[in-house]
Amino acid sequence: MENALTIHRDQKEKEDASGELIQLVSFKLDEEEYGVDVLKVREIIRMPSITRVPNTPHYVEGVINLRGKVIPIMSIRRRFGLGEVENDKSTRIMVMDVDGELMGFIVDSVSEVIRISEKEIQPPPPVATSGVDQECMSGVINQPERLLVLLDLEKMSSREDRKMLSNLSI
Amino acid sequence: MSMEIEDQELLDGFLTETTELLEKLDDDLVTLEKTTGDTELLNRIFRSIHTVKGASSFLGFELLVKVTHKTEDVLNRLRKGELVVTPEIMDVILESVDLVKILVSDIKANDIKEREIDGTIEKLIPLLSSSVTDGGSAPEAAPPPQAETATATPAAGETKPEAEPQSDAISPQPPKAATVAPPPQPVVKAVESKGEDLSDNTTVRVDVKRLDDLMNQVGELVLERNRMIQLNSNYQGEVNQESFSEDFNKLTKRLNFVTSELQMQVLKMRMIPVEKVFKKFPRIVRNLARDLGKEVDLQLMGEETELDRSVVDEIGDPLIHLIRNAMDHGLETPDERLAAGKSKMGTLILAAAHEGNQIIISIKDDGKGLDPDKIGRKALEKGLITDDQLASMMPREILDLIFLPGFSTKEKASDLSGRGVGMDVVRTNIKKLNGIIDIKSELGKGSEFILKLPLTLAIIQSLLVEVEGEIYSIPLSAVMETLRVDQREFHTIGGKEMLKLREIVLPLVRLERVFGVSRKMDTDSACYVVVVGVGEKRVGLIVTRLLGQQEVAIKSLGKYLANLPGIAGSTILGDGSVALIVDPVSLVEGNDGASTGRIAA
Repeated sequence: MENALTIHRDQKEKEDASGELIQLVSFKLDEEEYGVDVLKVREIIRMPSITRVPNTPHYVEGVINLRGKVIPIMSIRRRFGLGEVENDKSTRIMVMDVDGELMGFIVDSVSEVIRISEKEIQPPPPVATSGVDQECMSGVINQPERLLVLLDLEKMSSREDRKMLSNLSI
Repeated sequence: MSMEIEDQELLDGFLTETTELLEKLDDDLVTLEKTTGDTELLNRIFRSIHTVKGASSFLGFELLVKVTHKTEDVLNRLRKGELVVTPEIMDVILESVDLVKILVSDIKANDIKEREIDGTIEKLIPLLSSSVTDGGSAPEAAPPPQAETATATPAAGETKPEAEPQSDAISPQPPKAATVAPPPQPVVKAVESKGEDLSDNTTVRVDVKRLDDLMNQVGELVLERNRMIQLNSNYQGEVNQESFSEDFNKLTKRLNFVTSELQMQVLKMRMIPVEKVFKKFPRIVRNLARDLGKEVDLQLMGEETELDRSVVDEIGDPLIHLIRNAMDHGLETPDERLAAGKSKMGTLILAAAHEGNQIIISIKDDGKGLDPDKIGRKALEKGLITDDQLASMMPREILDLIFLPGFSTKEKASDLSGRGVGMDVVRTNIKKLNGIIDIKSELGKGSEFILKLPLTLAIIQSLLVEVEGEIYSIPLSAVMETLRVDQREFHTIGGKEMLKLREIVLPLVRLERVFGVSRKMDTDSACYVVVVGVGEKRVGLIVTRLLGQQEVAIKSLGKYLANLPGIAGSTILGDGSVALIVDPVSLVEGNDGASTGRIAA
């Protein structure tokens, strides 16, 4: 038991030396590429029929039935003010675990799962790209062939929470 | 490491068992006070305490052992007939049981504190000396509680600071008052809040038979599934429309039958007897009666009536409020009762029964009843209504004034009631459960509060409506009637649309406006009005089309979309899409400004 523990620790130390590997799900909005931690993503589904929910912030698209569970769907586009596009066959909903509850986020398309070393993550530049909230950006990954914006959707929703509450008190 | 896990299992077992024993103990002790000679009951109480003592000493909870040990000794003397149960002895025993509860909840919260237990133990000790006989026990046993109140209550005060000023108020009293002073009262207050988290809501005990029934039903369901697979493969390739539709029809019927059976079974498993709530009351009533100097005979009826866990969890507080009110405002003191030609002892009946898809709980007392004149006057004084309003009210409507926030008939707020928040909170809580509360009262003879609650909150009957292409579900319990009306019949009063419906003017709410539905269809002059009612209030909801009645399972919208105005939840329709459930309460309340008025002649 103790042995196993030390071995595990050794491994960890080794990883630390090379920077821990993390996996990201990358997705697209317009031509830009974003990434979120793969561990937060529960599943990726096609667009089902969405039921509109009245008196919610504009970026709450509505709710869907995910195998008997009703979960809210957010439009990242609207949240970031990116302008509307028609849903097409590559449009997906990423179902994520946000603070213990499932929530869906609409994205233009989901590309792949990539592995990067934690060391590659740089702090976000002071000027946010195309309306994306500074607060939700947890970093950028600058690789020779691509630039990936790392999003922290949990932060995005906690902000929403506050907003929603203030909306309701009116 | 594995040892620790085992310990945790032991501890969990101990907590579950102890909690159950303690819950029963209160009730048993109060019963014992009434039926002093019941040796079997006494033995049972003794065994419960003994079990708690044994288990806690095994697990090494020393404080708990000390208290239970002494309590057990006192009970043992009662058992042997060396002591006779008196209210004073019972006070001390109840106090130590309360202490045990506090200690157990400490253990449960994994937060074992050094608590002051000597106060209670010192009260138990005099009961153990042989000099105490039944005749002399009262005066001799009582002074220690008096002296110790100050030390005993701060311990409880740790859990609830409000209890402290209380103890200060009692301690300066002259020792003479000791025999009647009820020392456990402040402690009880602390326990009421503590005691509630004692009961465990994470595990359920289910009758094995019910489980077997459920398994049977699931077996049936599996059979139906197999038939469906069979049917599918039979008609793979060649489709004979006629025989297919016939077979499919049969299958649908069976599946429908099996699932509704299954639904009932699962529902039944979630049901627990209302006794779980009721058994707290004898203790509360006993303490209140002693505090108020009233004699009360509490009768419980229909304790075996079952209702959903979710409902049981929520009705405790409203019922306590109602019982307090009945005892404080309703029942008179023994002297007043004798003067009014009634028996000295007041009766309080708490009854539960099923009625269709509802459960009815009533709290009935034979006290002085509600006085409409007095209520009307008080409401005027407090500025809750105007003279004109009062003059036009029926006696029945005046009684409803007690539900207004801020209403109180008491000149001075007592510790028990009279702060004018009670009934308002009661009604709000009942409404939250989709229930209604009704008052029956006869001046001088008594009053009765009747709660009507749904059996479950998980599945409801609902009316599906269409609002400009969107489907909403309205709980059928709130729907009074539906009408097809020509929009030209609407009247406008103060910018609000109204409909003359028989003798009342019905305020109308356009659902498409409340829910911001974009208008898709041409304005048709005819539309449907769904009349919904909460309590005495009525509102008409304007919808485009009625789709029919359906039993729907309520799905929560999650933390995120909770508390949306006008929306109570959601449900999944037959085609898999989500429909929102309208919250009639908020729509009716939201329309308060234009409440239903009577047409003058």
